[in-house]
Amino acid sequence: MTSPATSSASTAGATATRAGGPGAAPPAAGHEMPRAVTALVFLRDRGIFILWGLLLVAFSLWCSPYFATPDNAVLIANAAALTAVFAAGVGIGIMTGVLDLSLPGTAAIASCVCGWLLTHGYPTAVGLLAGLACGVAVGLFNGLVSLRGLNPIIVTIGTLSMLTGLAAVIAGGYTFPGLSQLTFMGTQRYLGVPAPVYLVAVVFVVGTVFLTRTREGIRLMAVGGNAEAVRRSGIHSPRYQVLGFVVSGILAAIGGLVATAVTTEANPQASPAIIFNALTAVALAGVALTGGRGSLPRVLVGALILATISNGLTIRGIQPYWATVWTGVLLVGALLLERAVQTAVSERLVATANLSVHTKKV
Amino acid sequence: MTTGTGSGAGTPALELTGVEMHYGFVRALDDIDFRVHPGEVVGLLGDNGAGKSTLLKVMSGAHRPSGGTLRVHGEEKVFHAPSDAAGAGIQMVYQDLALVDAQDISTNLNLGREILRRGPLGWLGFVDHRAMRKRSEAELDRLGVRTAPMTRPVEMLSGGQRQVVALARSAIRVSGASNGILLLDEPTAALGYEQTKQVEALIRQMADNGIAIVLVTHNLPLCYQVADRVVVLNRGRKVADVAMSDTEPDHVVGWITGARPSQFHAASA
Ligand SMILES: Nc1ncnc2c1ncn2[C@@H]1O[C@H](COP(=O)(O)OP(=O)(O)OP(=O)(O)O)[C@@H](O)[C@H]1O
Ligand SMILES: [Mg+2]
Repeated sequence: MTSPATSSASTAGATATRAGGPGAAPPAAGHEMPRAVTALVFLRDRGIFILWGLLLVAFSLWCSPYFATPDNAVLIANAAALTAVFAAGVGIGIMTGVLDLSLPGTAAIASCVCGWLLTHGYPTAVGLLAGLACGVAVGLFNGLVSLRGLNPIIVTIGTLSMLTGLAAVIAGGYTFPGLSQLTFMGTQRYLGVPAPVYLVAVVFVVGTVFLTRTREGIRLMAVGGNAEAVRRSGIHSPRYQVLGFVVSGILAAIGGLVATAVTTEANPQASPAIIFNALTAVALAGVALTGGRGSLPRVLVGALILATISNGLTIRGIQPYWATVWTGVLLVGALLLERAVQTAVSERLVATANLSVHTKKV
Repeated sequence: MTTGTGSGAGTPALELTGVEMHYGFVRALDDIDFRVHPGEVVGLLGDNGAGKSTLLKVMSGAHRPSGGTLRVHGEEKVFHAPSDAAGAGIQMVYQDLALVDAQDISTNLNLGREILRRGPLGWLGFVDHRAMRKRSEAELDRLGVRTAPMTRPVEMLSGGQRQVVALARSAIRVSGASNGILLLDEPTAALGYEQTKQVEALIRQMADNGIAIVLVTHNLPLCYQVADRVVVLNRGRKVADVAMSDTEPDHVVGWITGARPSQFHAASA
């Protein structure tokens, strides 16, 4: 036990060296992050870009000369487009703390509502806006129900079931074919690039800017990381939890509308493959299921990696299910790598914390 | 002790008189008088279940007391929720720090008080990251804190630095026009030697800036480092209220365990 006299001396010392008086004192030691940690964090945050780069190089050599061409690049981008939009929805949901499994249902209902309106002679814009409104409505419903303390996964599974049923009711058991009004955002090409690629670019740029540069987006991410912290900052956090569902619903609706445009047919069948592809891309992107973490550009690259693999293997004439196998291998590998990096980072941080105890003799 | 600024005369920043708190038949707080002055650090000690956390919750508006009155800077107040206490300049720092790990220090410090950009981008809700960093740096400077670069994610900080960020976040929010009141529940519980020193220094700095601080802890040396006065609770009653310089560790331990008779209820104890 320290006596008052010596203790006040060491307090003063600590104040001077560690905290520094106002205006005085250079930053204390230990402020620089160790090189190794910086490198590891870089690997964790940018690893997926490196992985994609390696894949591109490998396939360019292996599938030469058919892979590394502008036409094939457009093909890959277009193949990745739908997965990317849904992955953005799933990803934003997870980052903000919810796993929204109702996405395929939202896509189906948006698609069928739009299809019904267009078939009954309403203008294209009305059909598209109504589809988007479906996304908002589903998001609000999911959010408000989940706020009552129910598990969002179960709630959204319930929503999925309701929506697929409703979509089938609207379609009367059939589909809405021949929606050629929508080709402008489906198979139509502008400057040689198909419309969905432009849409994806817009979605990801707007989404990234929203999440990193706007107040609402930053709070949305913060709620995913630690809702209690947001609440204690005097912010009404439930509002942001609902907002997360709404954003994810809108993206699902966009995905549904794009799918409708590409096939010029509104289909009430909600394909579960949508959600699994999207989840794979999101997981590849290292978006932690615990929330609050991740970035949309990485999610986009995740979707591109999936498309790249299946494209490259197809060029080599390898059966498509090998693409599925390799995707799974990559996914598990990425998870293992991330865990290893995370452990290494924490070990090094602990080491430096201890270091400062020994070097800083007060 | 350090300067010992606020101990003594003047209007207390926070004053509780005759506070009672019952949980059913459990009397968690029994006729507690308590005050803390601007710039004063009061250590609140007591054994497990003595009622420290309960008293802190009454002060922070998380609990309505069953009886007694509460004054902030001389004005009687009734708190219905923690937001009422926050409005009166009282902030509680909980043991779980409630930081957003993946976000950087600046974002954590500015959550809920973001600076928007000027012009059309601001209307769209775009934040001015640089302005927020600058403001936070200035605020930390005023507190005398240097932790790490503002852009460092909180998850990359040591335990002590995280605690410092959490303390600073609350301190920034209370140090407005009238000096605020900070309630700390076990701020060094999970920290090593060096990091405890860091937090000690910050607590002293904040008090020297005029903030009134109530510090709940089981760590007696910490009290001797930073507190001006100590209040000891024993089974819901206040048994001692003394200036740190007038007391010895043995006596304090005696009050905590109940071995030493109360200063106030000699007969009944
Ligand atoms: N919500 C509650 N309902 C019923 N009794 C409670 C409740 N909260 C606390 N108590 C009781 O009130 C008394 C004081 O508890 P309190 O948590 O304030 O103690 P403490 O001094 O903070 O202890 P510790 O050092 O363990 O944190 C204890 O007897 C406890 O069992
Ligand atoms: Mg307690």
